[in-house]
Amino acid sequence: MGKQPTDKKNWGRSYGEMVWKEFAKSKLSIASLVFIVFLFFLAIFAPFLANDKPFMIKINGQWNYPLFRSLTASDYAVFLAAAFAVFQLLLIRRNKKYIEPSIRGQVLGRQVFVNSLIVVIGTVLFFVMVPRRLDATDYKEMIVSGSAEGAVFAPIPYGYGRTDLKIREQPPSREHWLGTDDVGSDVLCRLIHGSRISLSVGFVAVGLSVLIGVFVGAVLGYFGGKVDFVGMRIVEIFMAIPPLLLMITVVAFFGRGLFLIMMVIGLITWTSNARFVRAEFFKLRQQDFVQSAVSLGLPLRSILFRHMLPNGIAPVLVNATFGIAGAIFYEAALSFLGFGVAPPTPSWGQILSLGVSTSGRFLWWLTLFPGLAIFLTALAYNLVGEGLRDAVDPRLRKAA
Amino acid sequence: MSENNTLLSIEDLSVHFFTEDGLAKAVEHVSFSIPKGKTFALVGESGCGKSVTALSTLQLIPDPPGKIISGKIIMDGQDLLELSKKQMRSVRGNDIAMIFQEPMTSLNPVFTVGDQIIEAIRLHQKKSPEEAHKLAVEMLSSVGIGDAEKRVYEYPHQMSGGMRQRVMIAMAISCRPQLLIADEPTTALDVTIQAQILDLLDELQQKNNMSILLITHDLGIVAERADEIAVMYASQIVEQGDAKSIFGEPMHPYTKGLLKSVPRLGFEEERLDTVQGNVPNPLHFPSGCKFHPRCPIGCNDEKCKNDEPSLKEVKDGRLAACWYAPGY
Ligand SMILES: Nc1ncnc2c1ncn2[C@@H]1O[C@H](COP(=O)(O)OP(=O)(O)O)[C@@H](O)[C@H]1O
Ligand SMILES: [Mg+2]
Repeated sequence: MGKQPTDKKNWGRSYGEMVWKEFAKSKLSIASLVFIVFLFFLAIFAPFLANDKPFMIKINGQWNYPLFRSLTASDYAVFLAAAFAVFQLLLIRRNKKYIEPSIRGQVLGRQVFVNSLIVVIGTVLFFVMVPRRLDATDYKEMIVSGSAEGAVFAPIPYGYGRTDLKIREQPPSREHWLGTDDVGSDVLCRLIHGSRISLSVGFVAVGLSVLIGVFVGAVLGYFGGKVDFVGMRIVEIFMAIPPLLLMITVVAFFGRGLFLIMMVIGLITWTSNARFVRAEFFKLRQQDFVQSAVSLGLPLRSILFRHMLPNGIAPVLVNATFGIAGAIFYEAALSFLGFGVAPPTPSWGQILSLGVSTSGRFLWWLTLFPGLAIFLTALAYNLVGEGLRDAVDPRLRKAA
Repeated sequence: MSENNTLLSIEDLSVHFFTEDGLAKAVEHVSFSIPKGKTFALVGESGCGKSVTALSTLQLIPDPPGKIISGKIIMDGQDLLELSKKQMRSVRGNDIAMIFQEPMTSLNPVFTVGDQIIEAIRLHQKKSPEEAHKLAVEMLSSVGIGDAEKRVYEYPHQMSGGMRQRVMIAMAISCRPQLLIADEPTTALDVTIQAQILDLLDELQQKNNMSILLITHDLGIVAERADEIAVMYASQIVEQGDAKSIFGEPMHPYTKGLLKSVPRLGFEEERLDTVQGNVPNPLHFPSGCKFHPRCPIGCNDEKCKNDEPSLKEVKDGRLAACWYAPGY
């Protein structure tokens, strides 16, 4: 037999492929996934979709490219990360064709490691090298006054930090499709840029929460006994903390900041993941294939994370999708209460909080649209979670 | 039996489970030796402590609730119970390997069978992934799986029970252990497959010169395969000796009962006898000889009801624990 079988069919279907096939059976799950991908698209390309600086403009007979010049280090970092995420997905497809299943896991691990490293190094470089250019030029004014021409603007030609008190608190119109807020910023523009905050809060916070939860839950569930008793008391202490109050306290002490909010959400919500993993590991510990893995002399690391975790991770994955929705809610709630990210950084909760203006008027467009965005995103994540739960449930698979 | 012929000896092993319902003495004062290159059968009805004995040798007893209370498990002059966790890990798979009763659940559902064998191989031998892969294919064909080059990529759920048990065997012997513990390896399989699997074990034993600890509730399947037999009842060994003499001249009433329940060729129309009653629960063992409530002699004998017989040599190479065994 050659080193690389040429007929890939005889490799059988991988576990991931089987789960995907089940997941894809539900149209609702797929639609939700498409919606989330669409949101990511909005978040990644936000500067190109909504920007008050034109892609190109002719000033004094010379072409300028203000939009590209105004891109910040974090914009570049987002593009880099997105590009490598797509590249990794393509690599996974390629692996399926050319890499033998027995070493695919190792190869994938190496690829993810190298790619993440490149993204991290690139991000650091961007933050060191890309200068912060403050460009307060009003290009639209230049067009009107005739000092510039041939401008190509983004589809939504408003900046998220641009204020104009003359047009504050205006309902939806032809110019501002979703209206304007209390300082005259375009709401649609702020929603698009705000999606970055909501999506990243969800991912980073839940990532941290899953990481801690899986580790603690695996150890407690596998060892049981005294370890479990002490561990569960610690978990209960964490569960007793009211999340929102702790977040407000932390923000009060350390100041507002997106990073801080993500950390706090992650550090509070891991307990539910730990309990899921612990319950799964209690069941798995007694199962023959785990006993058989131990009887072969496999190291604890392999038993816990290679053999048991893939069989017990399903509830955590499902919980994670609900957790992302929850984290988005938390961020929105904090921002609504005025403890979220500091303006002018846009976030959905912050826009929502402007719905009742200082003059006491109810501004429906400032409530409806960000509310809808939060609601739909949370719903989509929950639906994906449910689809995933059905897809990984082995009992359902047997029946199919 | 001379010392240097012994591969592994268990001395005075007691294992207790501290459960919520009380103390279950699952194994009590069990001693036996497994000779090199031979098959030692541990026989008894379900619940009598066979699996717990087997799991103890690899220290796989779930703790809590289980604990090895006393005893020694000696291999190459070393008490395995005194080894560090790390040393014990290299014994597992390397010196002693185990296959389990339920082939449907003893393979990991999320990996291909090839992956699982390769991991076992690479754990104890320095091999590149490619070499290990080749070896895995060889192992699969050596346990009688046809088209091994293709099947190495299959998932457990794509295989039948018999196939999976073969995979389990391939995995267990991939590191050439000196002792293979087979805990009811064929109980979950069809009768025709049972014989095939047992024949395979025989063949591998010859080839690799390994010892087998064969655990079963079915005396019938050990008849031609075991060299030595220990019969367990209610956490203890009640009779032990070489296979031929036990089948020829059973001494304990329990063994006699078990033998009567073995179907024999040519007597098929005859109704099979079974031992009356049930195995006692370890939480409430009867007084005296634990077998007395089910025993044709002991059920109305004061001595059996009050005093427990210990396992004694009653004849050359024959041990029994019964007041009425000849020579006791
Ligand atoms: N995990 C456990 N928890 C509590 N008790 C157990 C456990 N495993 C075994 N036991 C006790 O040990 C006894 C013997 O079990 P086992 O060795 O599995 O029997 P078998 O001879 O059928 O293999 C059981 O009847 C039970 O009381
Ligand atoms: Mg058993």
